[in-house]
Amino acid sequence: MLVQPAVRIIGILFFSLAAGCAAVKEVPPSVMTQTGPVVADLSLDGSNQDRAVAAEPLRSEAREEATVALAAPPAGLRQPVMISGEAIGVEPVAGAPTQPWSRRAAKAAPPLAKTPAKVFISPVTIDQPRKNEDTLPVARKLEPPLDVAALKARLRDTNAIGVFTKLALKNQMDDLLKQFRAHYQSGQKTSVASLRQPYDMLVLKVLALVQNSDPSLARTISGSREAIWGILADPVKFNSIT
Amino acid sequence: MTTPARASALIFALTVFFAGPSSAADDTALLKDLTSVIMLLGLPCGQVISAKRQADNDHIASCKDGSRYRVFVNTAGRVVAQKQ
Repeated sequence: MLVQPAVRIIGILFFSLAAGCAAVKEVPPSVMTQTGPVVADLSLDGSNQDRAVAAEPLRSEAREEATVALAAPPAGLRQPVMISGEAIGVEPVAGAPTQPWSRRAAKAAPPLAKTPAKVFISPVTIDQPRKNEDTLPVARKLEPPLDVAALKARLRDTNAIGVFTKLALKNQMDDLLKQFRAHYQSGQKTSVASLRQPYDMLVLKVLALVQNSDPSLARTISGSREAIWGILADPVKFNSIT
Repeated sequence: MTTPARASALIFALTVFFAGPSSAADDTALLKDLTSVIMLLGLPCGQVISAKRQADNDHIASCKDGSRYRVFVNTAGRVVAQKQ
């Protein structure tokens, strides 16, 4: 009579025990390992093109938890560095334990700061300390070369300004170039700093005329401002283009 | 109303409908262009409110502040604004 319920209870206990043992092999979802590929997210914003997305630094407490909770990867494990899903190289994992975790666990753990017990570690962005020479070429700020011919063509073809305005601008640019030419031909040893103000004024006029109707061209002109001045202020470069 | 008459009326109406806005747009572009030129040449104007064409590349521009300029391209290829 009472044997059957007892057998049933014992059976349920054995079943739940077996299920618990089977679940131990799985990784708890709250802790993520670093054995996956490290992804450097280099999606660039148009307004700020020299900024790569900064990876969130891995906190030491979280790293300790991850190493305690999981079996550590073997020493010297190297992971591919990915850019937009494409492996471009192999990097040693920063902070990867080089000892078996049991020995690490045997060490006296440092006192933890007041942090929550469970910390979610983002698997996507992990900061990899690199030397300057290891910096990815994609992440470096690339100064686009100045294409004077293309800039002239864009100014000529833009619909932002009318024919009279284009002609008036061309007249004023020619006048400024004449001033530079006269300065260099006079053989003065002084710098061309006196011509910087009219140059800046002319650039500002062009920007004011173009910025509302053709903001892309305005950005290009604004970005090329110093490069153009570099050509005008250098007698050799100036003579080569005129 | 016969069919040819209807067709003619329709064509006339469409011509008026499309020709009006396009000429207005051209006028607006010209007024803006003349305003920019006078501003570039450093002359007081504010805004060109009307323009009268005299020849190719030759206009009389009337400004908001009451001043009038003859804007034209001279033989040397320079844009000139002469106060009238």
